[in-house]
Amino acid sequence: MAKQHGLIAKFDTPAGIMHAAEKVRDAGFKKWDVIAPFPLHGLDTAMGIKRSPVGRFTIVGGTIGLVSGMLMIWFTSASDLSLPYMEGYQLIVGGKPLFSPQYAFPVAYEMTILFSAFASIGGMFILNKLPMHYHPVLKYKDVAASSDDTFFLYIENEDPQFDEDKTRAFLGELEPLEVGELEE
Amino acid sequence: MSADFTPNPKKWLLIGAAGLIVSLIGFFVDTQIAAWSYLIGLIFVTSIAIGMLFLVMMHHIFDAEWSVIVRRQAEHFISALPYLGVLFVPLWVLTYMGGDQGILWLWMDHTASLHGHGTVGTDILYLKKAWWLSETFFWFRAIFCFAVWSYFAWAFRRNSITQDEDGSPKHTYSSRKHAAAGLILVALTWTAASFDWIMSLEYHWFSTMFGVWIFSSAIRAALSVMLLTCAYLVAKGPLKGIFNTKHLHDVATLAFAFTVFWAYITFSQYFLIWNANIPEETFWFNDREQGLWWPISMVLIFGYFLFPFLYLLQFPLKVNYKSTTFIGSWLLIMNLVDVFYNILPSLKDSHGEPFQLFSEPTNVIWYISGIVGAGGILLWAYWSSFAKTKIIPIRDPRIQDCLNHNHH
Repeated sequence: MAKQHGLIAKFDTPAGIMHAAEKVRDAGFKKWDVIAPFPLHGLDTAMGIKRSPVGRFTIVGGTIGLVSGMLMIWFTSASDLSLPYMEGYQLIVGGKPLFSPQYAFPVAYEMTILFSAFASIGGMFILNKLPMHYHPVLKYKDVAASSDDTFFLYIENEDPQFDEDKTRAFLGELEPLEVGELEE
Repeated sequence: MSADFTPNPKKWLLIGAAGLIVSLIGFFVDTQIAAWSYLIGLIFVTSIAIGMLFLVMMHHIFDAEWSVIVRRQAEHFISALPYLGVLFVPLWVLTYMGGDQGILWLWMDHTASLHGHGTVGTDILYLKKAWWLSETFFWFRAIFCFAVWSYFAWAFRRNSITQDEDGSPKHTYSSRKHAAAGLILVALTWTAASFDWIMSLEYHWFSTMFGVWIFSSAIRAALSVMLLTCAYLVAKGPLKGIFNTKHLHDVATLAFAFTVFWAYITFSQYFLIWNANIPEETFWFNDREQGLWWPISMVLIFGYFLFPFLYLLQFPLKVNYKSTTFIGSWLLIMNLVDVFYNILPSLKDSHGEPFQLFSEPTNVIWYISGIVGAGGILLWAYWSSFAKTKIIPIRDPRIQDCLNHNHH
């Protein structure tokens, strides 16, 4: 048999999985997850998941966008810098100063939004460790039911508290339909 | 309602009356400044009530569930609108009985001489606008605006309060229909009011963004007052255990959204005028770069946009009563600064220079009395309505969803 990845428990009601998640959270497990066919309100709290740090990526991206937008306009219209393949060219438009934050603002603003969006998507991928083409759960026999009417909860071997017999007994106490093994 | 909390509307009526009496004294002592200060106070307070009216209508048009208990507070505030209409009458009296017909709106005095060229009556920029800026039409519009606002305030309050008694869903449907019509009518009348009362103070100037600007200003004022009201009612007891931090978070998030909206509108107005560079428009901003108005415009950019933007970006600061109370007070003060900035520089001294905020120390008395007078009336109306109605709309069809609304 292949190396064991963890233990998995199967539930058939949202209430069952919710109470199970609360108990696993309170028992102090770290490396575990819940699989559900639809969003369950309150599951984040039941699992003890904190607010997503994706916003940190967003603000960094937004700031970079704002600064680069301003710099781009300054470079193209007010500087005479010479960069590889690019040359700044001082151009007077509409009798306005060569550079002023006023007219650079619409561009910098759009760049802020664009970069915020990129950073949010990128941050989401990084935090979720995406792309992930394979996960041991996919090999579990009736995991396809998790996209229909069945809920799963699994705890990984790598969890510091994991102990084959104790964890199996613990999962059994959560009143699942069955407890099974996940293979690497 | 908790037993140890009894609102005291009379106190606020006395405070409001005191402010109005001081303003009245001002009309005799220092007529022009007192009149302008009174106008500023009235517009500031009316914009809070109008913002509340918009919040009620937005609640109904979206069939929202989270804001049912918040809406009841807004319904108290909009009860002030008819009284604010009464407070508009002194402006008519000042115009026609103060000896100087152009004391507030210069164009009302056709013989007023303009700095450098002719009189209002011969000014082409006035003549082209004369069909709109006619005195009869102006006062008619003011009456019409207050009539529309008072009607909608009355209708929403009647529906909501009657529903407390009979629990019939027909009141909710009625409010939804009123909201659909009201959003259009109030938007148009509030825009017309901003053109009349603020923009026509400087009738040479025109900005198509102005109606949207005053809408964003009113909503921001209302949301900051709402943050303060809810925090106060939770601390004092009436809403304790009913209003939770998720409701608080939602109100604060709206305040955040309209911070960005206000900045977008205000910048667009500036940018279009800056870019087009037409003298009839740019002078308005040039006046606002004279003397103290320059630092005040910087305060608005950094204090009314950048600081609240960065502050309200942060989740923990939106779910804590102390931090929302701070930002609510901050936004309200900044809103007042913005109203001053938009109105007062339109008053010119004999050299055609914009009026300076602290040209005389006594100005401050009239500023304060103008705000306290109208503000006292607003709070009197709020607490009177509060004392007479249920603390939350107990039979609203959405009340259960609203009470269960929480962080998930």
